Amino acid sequence: MKELIRLEDVTIGYDGKAILGPVELTIQRGEFAGILGPNGGGKSTLLKTMLGLVPPVSGRVDVEPGIVFGYVPQNEHFDPLFPVSVEEVVSMGRYARVPAGSGLSKADRECVSRSMERAGVGRLAKRTFRSLSGGEKQRTLIARAVAGGPDALVLDEPTAAVDVRGEAAIMELVESIRRESGAAVIMVSHFLRTAARYAGRIILVDADKGVFREGPKSELTTGGALADFFGLNFESGLGPQTTRPGGDGA
Amino acid sequence: MITLGEFLGSYFLWRDPMIVGAAAGAICGFRGVYVVLRRIFFVSAARSLVASFGVALSFYIEGLGLGALSAAVHPFALSIGLTAAAAVFFALKKDYSRISREGIIGFGFLIASAAVVILGDRITKGSHDIASILFGSAVVVDPADVYIIPAIAVAAGAVLLLYMKDFIFVSFDEESARLFKYPVGALNAGLMVMIAIVAAAATRALGALPVFAFLALPPLAALYFTERLKLAFILSAAMGVLSAVLGYFFSFVLSLPTGASMAMCACLFFIAGLLWREVRKRV
Repeated sequence: MKELIRLEDVTIGYDGKAILGPVELTIQRGEFAGILGPNGGGKSTLLKTMLGLVPPVSGRVDVEPGIVFGYVPQNEHFDPLFPVSVEEVVSMGRYARVPAGSGLSKADRECVSRSMERAGVGRLAKRTFRSLSGGEKQRTLIARAVAGGPDALVLDEPTAAVDVRGEAAIMELVESIRRESGAAVIMVSHFLRTAARYAGRIILVDADKGVFREGPKSELTTGGALADFFGLNFESGLGPQTTRPGGDGA
Repeated sequence: MITLGEFLGSYFLWRDPMIVGAAAGAICGFRGVYVVLRRIFFVSAARSLVASFGVALSFYIEGLGLGALSAAVHPFALSIGLTAAAAVFFALKKDYSRISREGIIGFGFLIASAAVVILGDRITKGSHDIASILFGSAVVVDPADVYIIPAIAVAAGAVLLLYMKDFIFVSFDEESARLFKYPVGALNAGLMVMIAIVAAAATRALGALPVFAFLALPPLAALYFTERLKLAFILSAAMGVLSAVLGYFFSFVLSLPTGASMAMCACLFFIAGLLWREVRKRV
């Protein structure tokens, strides 16, 4: 597998104030990495540091030259004041390959249409994004992320605003896109069982306790590592039910 | 009260201000959609006042009789320069030492307002000129504005259309735009500077009150009337034009203050949009 992102001796934080580190981490092409941890534990900061949206306090972040990210931010990231259609939102994903000042070509628009169909939102193309349900919004954002033909699909709490059925459908969609495209998936989640089910590698982050652990799922989901990290008892194992350590249980 | 025939017969009196008002209404309405969507109403108000301050300051310097310096300070240039500087500051400055951005913008609004009134007390042109700057009571416009304002409107409109996808993108999702290596700072600053230039030029010609009204009310009304973003831009520009034209018409016919009349027409469009939305919700 080819290395897409490498963090070397990186301390993460905001405005020069360190919250966690130093950490070492690599993301390989085609892998599914789940970032888990409590609220305010630094998961999103770690993610944004990997993407180059937040500069590291110290250390070095290397990304493969020319890498294209497909980014699914948290749902509340978008202002409902904007009357943008689903098609317009998905088109924005294509901007990863269309520079400022240029318009979308016919081929770009076809790619946008395919992405909408792939994510199951083709019939919603003319609807306003703000009028969609939580699940429809996530599908639209995944279509947007896919439209750019990404090397890495980056999802920040993609199932936070959907019910259990919607969650399963969205995760199946993400996993099938990963298998078909060979893109890496990096997902921040509260959903321990979801991440444990799909991710090949788990990254545990808790800035309050100064904890950063990463490794193969098989290593971190056995032997009490998760129980130690979350302070919870996983006697029944990681079954099909959803668990939200640090979440609100909604 | 003047009849419609008398109004049409005296077109040579209202032709120039009508052209300037319509051009200012169109471009302010168009640009104003961004003002509304980015929730920067107060920035617009502050910018209108900073533009007014620039005009008042140039009058003041002119009245000082400093020879070449007084002659060199042009109200239009000073107004645009100060407003553009304020726009760049508000666009790029993110950290205000734990004070909210709105607080700093409020400070800009208030200091510009106070400075305009203080300068108005000192300048030799008199209080009527300051009232014109602030509230747009000027019935006639500078002949040069007949060319300057439409030219600015066309240039700003062309830039907006050329970079429309990019301005919408950075306004809707700045984080993804940064991820895609879009020149977010330049696009934000460019958008703000263009709004500032339009606001400064229109403020000098029409006054702060109608310009602020055109930047805020037609876009709000348009967003009530339609769920399509691109149509909202067109509707907003059209309502900006109509607010200016109808406002001037009623001002002329009913002998109303021009700026206030234009702003009132923009308010009526807003109320119509609000009623439209309420009716649609019930149907």
